[in-house]
Amino acid sequence: MRRFKTPVTAALLWDTVHEAFLRWVFWGLFGLSTTLMLFFLFLLRIDLVEGARATVSLFGQSTGRAVEVAKLVRQVHAGVAAFFYMFAMFLAVFASATLMPAALERGRVELLVAKPLRRWHLLLARYGANLLVVTLNTCYLIGGVWLIFGWKAGVWHASFLYAIPATTFMFAVLLTVVALVSVLSESAALATMVTFALMVTSPILAQHQLMMKLLSSEWSRNLWKGLYYALPKFYDVGSLNMDLVMGRAVSEWAPVWSSAAFGVVVLAAAALLFQRKDY
Amino acid sequence: MSAAIETSGLTKVYRTWWKRREVRAVEDVSLRIEPGATFGLLGPNGAGKTTFVKMLLAVAHPTAGSARIFGLDCRCPEARRPVGYLPENHRLPSYMTGRGMLDFYAALSGMEARRRRKRAGELLALMGLEKWGGTRLSKYSKGMLQRLALAQALMHQPRMLVLDEPSDGVDPVGRRQIREILRELEAQGVTIFINSHLLAEVELFCREVAILHRGRVALLGKVRELTAGKGYKLTAAGVPDRLGEELRRRAVAAASRDALLELQFPTREEANQALDLLRREGCEIESLVPTTSTLEEVFMRTVNA
Repeated sequence: MRRFKTPVTAALLWDTVHEAFLRWVFWGLFGLSTTLMLFFLFLLRIDLVEGARATVSLFGQSTGRAVEVAKLVRQVHAGVAAFFYMFAMFLAVFASATLMPAALERGRVELLVAKPLRRWHLLLARYGANLLVVTLNTCYLIGGVWLIFGWKAGVWHASFLYAIPATTFMFAVLLTVVALVSVLSESAALATMVTFALMVTSPILAQHQLMMKLLSSEWSRNLWKGLYYALPKFYDVGSLNMDLVMGRAVSEWAPVWSSAAFGVVVLAAAALLFQRKDY
Repeated sequence: MSAAIETSGLTKVYRTWWKRREVRAVEDVSLRIEPGATFGLLGPNGAGKTTFVKMLLAVAHPTAGSARIFGLDCRCPEARRPVGYLPENHRLPSYMTGRGMLDFYAALSGMEARRRRKRAGELLALMGLEKWGGTRLSKYSKGMLQRLALAQALMHQPRMLVLDEPSDGVDPVGRRQIREILRELEAQGVTIFINSHLLAEVELFCREVAILHRGRVALLGKVRELTAGKGYKLTAAGVPDRLGEELRRRAVAAASRDALLELQFPTREEANQALDLLRREGCEIESLVPTTSTLEEVFMRTVNA
């Protein structure tokens, strides 16, 4: 039989994106993003007062305090970036939690793994396409809001766009958890719960310096530290995101590297378990 | 020439770690299926048929033993390239259209885009689904999905088809149509491996069968010989290897199970000659029973033995 060099990866990526479109996941994300952009477009006003100073008003209600335009825009940017970091993440995890296990459900996975391709290829392509969908949405949402702010206030702080890589990066890390739980359980609900649990516990674990003083026993301090260093630092990367958007110097990049290491290990574990799993 | 399928001591044991219980789904199955054969794997529910097929296609991993497809280790992805697979209880993605589904799975089998488009049209027509190609699978009936799944297995013109319960949910007309398609493929030299519990279907189509019972091969032979008129089944214990080989050559079917050798002879004379040889060697005769002609009876006898 003749063998063709075919874009198997392209077919796998396209299938996931296609599924995201046809299952309304993609449209749901874009719809909500568009609603948010419309909110900023119509309900948030920045009025120039005395040239370089401005006031901000929401739903027609002004804060009444005129501040420097550039500073005001930067503050609004930071608030919006923090909101998006949380909002987009919850939304993206929720959407992805159905896409990842869908391909692994019984009756469907057998046909896929019996094809002449390696299982890790299948998993990574699914992961990559999922990440692509969310990255596109993040670019659309943050890029769109940046354009709206620039157009309305005439201030173009490019640092706001740092929210795109920061949000995408954290999502890429959390998506590895979705992948691992999906491989283990094939359950979208469990994948969502575990990932949300990591997001919610991150700000608590981030208080490790305070907890070192409060915890009485050595083992509980070690456990706290261990969990803090081992798990993805959703909260710390969020703070780092704010620093970048505000144009402040980033004091520590360790949360990025350790979260990335967590993601690599979890994704490798997911691929390994998928390789060994019986269907 | 490499066998289309060759398994050696293939075993699958499922373990539940919390109860430490073992389920031996498939045990020490050694089969050799030649290219171009039409082979039926039979067995009652839970006999290990689907597990055997899954191990063959690396969907499940063997606990022991090995399987080769056209000479390649089945764990190697390249071994699965010439195989078209129709799994049991498949769930085709409901968001896809018929044509889209055929295109996607054929792309994964390494088929180029232009050929995929042409072939999808041909197969949709062959399965009587040409008007449904652009319709989402959520609108398909069970029988239509089964025919489409078979089309999926045929897309890349495989050298071997592995079909797990191929006529599941298909009406009698559809079954006949599937059988005709498979006959045509057989004429083209495609190896066809059918896993089914529908004995009449296997009897009508397959040339060779194996009956799997409690994970082991209980009987193996050619359908024509197993069902050719009345015959005799001789079961003996303690048969020396050399005599065993000799008797296997004389018998129309033979199987080893739990240290017993089961032999099927078409005539009383041949059964008596075998009996004499076994007696001369001091082997123990477990039973000598007359056999009847349908595969169903062969099956029932084997499973109830």
